[in-house]
Amino acid sequence: MSSILLSRFQPLSKVLVHDVFNTGFNGWMEIMPNFCEAPDFEESPSIVVKHQWPPVMLSTPTFRYPGSHGSLSGQYSLKVSTRPVANSYNQPPAPGSMGHAIKRLSFHHLKRKYLQFEMWFAFTAEQDKVDGAGALPGLHESSIRAFGAGWDLQERGNRYFAGVRYLNAVDGALQKKWQLIYPSSKDDKDWAYGTDGDWCIKGVDPFWFGRRYADGRHDGYKDIQNAQQALCYNETDCKINWQYFRLLIDTENRQYVEMQCQDKIFDLEKHPIFCVAPYDRIDGLMNPLVWVETDTNRRVFLFIDSVVISQE
Amino acid sequence: MKLFNAAHLEVKKDFSTDFQTNPYEVGWADECIFFIAVEGLSGGNAALVAAVEISHDGVNWVGEGTVSEPVDKLGLHFIRVKHFGNWLLLNCSITGEQPVFRLNIQIALKG
Repeated sequence: MSSILLSRFQPLSKVLVHDVFNTGFNGWMEIMPNFCEAPDFEESPSIVVKHQWPPVMLSTPTFRYPGSHGSLSGQYSLKVSTRPVANSYNQPPAPGSMGHAIKRLSFHHLKRKYLQFEMWFAFTAEQDKVDGAGALPGLHESSIRAFGAGWDLQERGNRYFAGVRYLNAVDGALQKKWQLIYPSSKDDKDWAYGTDGDWCIKGVDPFWFGRRYADGRHDGYKDIQNAQQALCYNETDCKINWQYFRLLIDTENRQYVEMQCQDKIFDLEKHPIFCVAPYDRIDGLMNPLVWVETDTNRRVFLFIDSVVISQE
Repeated sequence: MKLFNAAHLEVKKDFSTDFQTNPYEVGWADECIFFIAVEGLSGGNAALVAAVEISHDGVNWVGEGTVSEPVDKLGLHFIRVKHFGNWLLLNCSITGEQPVFRLNIQIALKG
């Protein structure tokens, strides 16, 4: 990495990923269902429809009046987006109301303790129609429900999801706080919205499982103490600001260590990471991922300029 | 080396009425092929016609002029587009008696 890029990131000693999306997709793609069923590679059954999560794009991003905004490192960024559809917060996510990007790799070094995710990102809502209330009816900050970053991991016989999300709005009411992935459901059935016999397991896929409540609680996430933070959302949906994010976890003790957004650092106080029994065939799996969710019937966008995944 | 990317716009989804694909950003690419794979087809005289649309902002759209021949058979079909800005979608019309198309639509870009 050049000194300029190093000054933009704070990598641990072993850099596994340094992706600048001005050069291409770099292996990041949307999450899709599994296609393993007869007769013609049918989608594996699930209570959550996953084939409507939109594909990732290389975005300029381009708006109605200013034209192309460009990225921090050039012209293109990775866009993670939704379709213009949402359920109310306390319902399971509507098909297409979320978007994800994932990169699939694996651990390569046995001496490992810390794992870190860094990115420069921006977010906005689609400037589709003026339908708000109040002084700025054409500003759609509250249309973005949440976005986040973390990993899907299985290593040394432990399967776990670790990550944080920025809960921006709940049914139109701004929240502006960080939460970490940690399940509080009673059991697998509760995790799957009370469904008997679904394949899902408590703690796996917290993005779309775990009950949600009208007051903003979510059985897949837990508030980080004192982690209210007002991120940059500019004066109009067509102005975006690039912001820094960092999450550090301990894969030896399976604990959260700390996170940073912009210039604020939040101590995660060695909060445990929830582990489940390993799946077949995937030990060593390390999948960094990001996601975004809309709060209303409007597309919302998470733009990623660049990512560094590092370990030591 | 050129950049190539294929992305799904619809996967194994049944369509009985007119629809538009989700807008896709294509500014980096020089050429595009929309692949329309018909995995299932039922109804009387069922036909699908796909028209390419372009946009300057991903919200407001206009016909680009490229329109497919009627798609009325199982299998793989395609539409080529050579000249566009930052956005593309397909505006699809379905006709027939109780038509149902099970479709995979993929956008293949190179540039």
